[in-house]
Amino acid sequence: MNWTDLLQFSRGPFFQIALLVFVAGMFYRLASILLLGWQRDRTPARGSKLGGVIKSYGKGLFILPFIPWVKNSFRSNAVTFIAGGLFHLGLFVVIFFGAAHMLVWKSLLGFGWFTLPLPIIDWMAAVAIVAMLVLAVNRLTNPVLKLLTGPAEWLNWLVVFLPFVTGYIMTHRLWFPYELLFSLHLITVNIMLIWIPFSRISHFIFYFFSRTIHGTEYGKRAVSP
Amino acid sequence: MGKDTIYEHLRQQGVSRRNFMKMCAALVGAMGLKQAAPIEASNLPPELARTAYKPVELVAKALESKPRVPVIWLEFQDCAGCSEALTRSQSPTVVDLVLNKISIEYHETLSAAAGYQTEENKHRIMQEYAGQYVLVVEGSIPTGANAHFCTVGGRSAEDLLKEAAAGAGAIIATGNCAAYGGLPKADPNPTGARGVWEIITDKPVVNIPGCPPIPEAMTGTLAHFIVFGSLPELDSLNRPKTFYAQTIHDRCLRRPFYEAGKFAETFDDEGARQGWCLYKLGCKGPTTYNACAGIKWDAGLSFPIQSGHPCLGCSEPNFWDGGGFYQGQSAPLNRPTLTAAGAAAAVGIVAGASAALGNKAQKSKAHKEASE
Repeated sequence: MNWTDLLQFSRGPFFQIALLVFVAGMFYRLASILLLGWQRDRTPARGSKLGGVIKSYGKGLFILPFIPWVKNSFRSNAVTFIAGGLFHLGLFVVIFFGAAHMLVWKSLLGFGWFTLPLPIIDWMAAVAIVAMLVLAVNRLTNPVLKLLTGPAEWLNWLVVFLPFVTGYIMTHRLWFPYELLFSLHLITVNIMLIWIPFSRISHFIFYFFSRTIHGTEYGKRAVSP
Repeated sequence: MGKDTIYEHLRQQGVSRRNFMKMCAALVGAMGLKQAAPIEASNLPPELARTAYKPVELVAKALESKPRVPVIWLEFQDCAGCSEALTRSQSPTVVDLVLNKISIEYHETLSAAAGYQTEENKHRIMQEYAGQYVLVVEGSIPTGANAHFCTVGGRSAEDLLKEAAAGAGAIIATGNCAAYGGLPKADPNPTGARGVWEIITDKPVVNIPGCPPIPEAMTGTLAHFIVFGSLPELDSLNRPKTFYAQTIHDRCLRRPFYEAGKFAETFDDEGARQGWCLYKLGCKGPTTYNACAGIKWDAGLSFPIQSGHPCLGCSEPNFWDGGGFYQGQSAPLNRPTLTAAGAAAAVGIVAGASAALGNKAQKSKAHKEASE
């Protein structure tokens, strides 16, 4: 077995299996949560629920990040807020606007979009990596976070950190053969895909549920029993 | 074939001493010779090292003293394209020189004679020059159906290869088919095709992959064997490092556009006309080790990327199964079918629903117990 075979495996069968596990796992999570049942809305709404949802997303994505000091979570732990925010920004830019990543989406979805130059992607990845390191130190030093952090949190951190680091080393072609780094990047991504549904990284989908539900509550302007 | 030295042979052909020395210099360049290892290790100051060892003189001396090397060229599951590429090469000095220094004694496509005479001649060379001749293999070797997918003179390719390899001084697999199985090995590989090094395991096999390989890579390797009597330094896939140490991407003339994020999106858009990077059109340059971007083709005229076509990765193992030629290199080899994705989703939903039902039952039970 040479590096090309390893690459072939991690790009081919392993990726397929990881993707199918990811799909099955996410549907499992969605079904098991959604089928728990909804509480019937018995109070008449005095405002627009949809308006509340739109406001909620608008505030969360476009206003609060720029005036973070109004938020309680920022005042209690600014490092989590800033480093966490920068990490998510880097993550989105890298996985949606990196040329190589867009091609993955294109091959899966059938359509593509514009991409950003490599240096921008590279810096964004560096920002995300540094932010992750800061977040790790924060977890080790902050007394409250120390109590909240268990093995699962560290595993989540590692599973996201490894694809970033392997991807960064790979784009800079450091130390190892390129095919090996490419394979390692894909292997770590595949492991992440398998791990996501069974971990709190699945917030990437449940975030939208909680934002929407909170939005309807804000917009309803009624007292619930 | 006489026992003349290469130099004598060339003189008979009317090559002057001056032209001979020029050819030697060209050969040094083609082989990428810099300095012999012992002299490099001695740490002599450069001006002394230069007088102690002159690559051109070394090559000239070797060619003056050595007889021409007999070559047996076997073709199996191939298209003869590698032979075509070598014989129609546009860089006459180096290739002519090498073709003069070797004497191809057996070649199924090029031999004027045919039938028993050529087979007899092959056996004579194999006996007379045992341990000295160079065996060049073109095309993959089928192993399925008792190896009977490819026979020459009633004997299977595998059999012929093993027989010729037993007495060979050097074995060179030219082209991706002979090196790694190439097109015949593409999924589902109906003939059970294999590369030479998967069958000949007791001797080193030099792989000169490509579809076809760059003629200079082939002649450079042959020249190395002729001059030094040994094989050049090889990488982990048995390719000579002189020609296969760097990727196409490393030396690509469109590389700055890759860094700047300027890509051709289709074959006829503004980017394609401006000569921008072909990565999004499926270029495999970043993982392809070959000398195309440096030596180029047709005497340095051009190479696929320069003329506007993405690299296919033809010097890498399994390049036919390495994802679509026009699909981005980073993309997965194949996406799961909708049926597979649907089945996975269904499994997830069923598991999730049963988990939810279980939770509900637990909840109502707890509710009942609380109300009692």
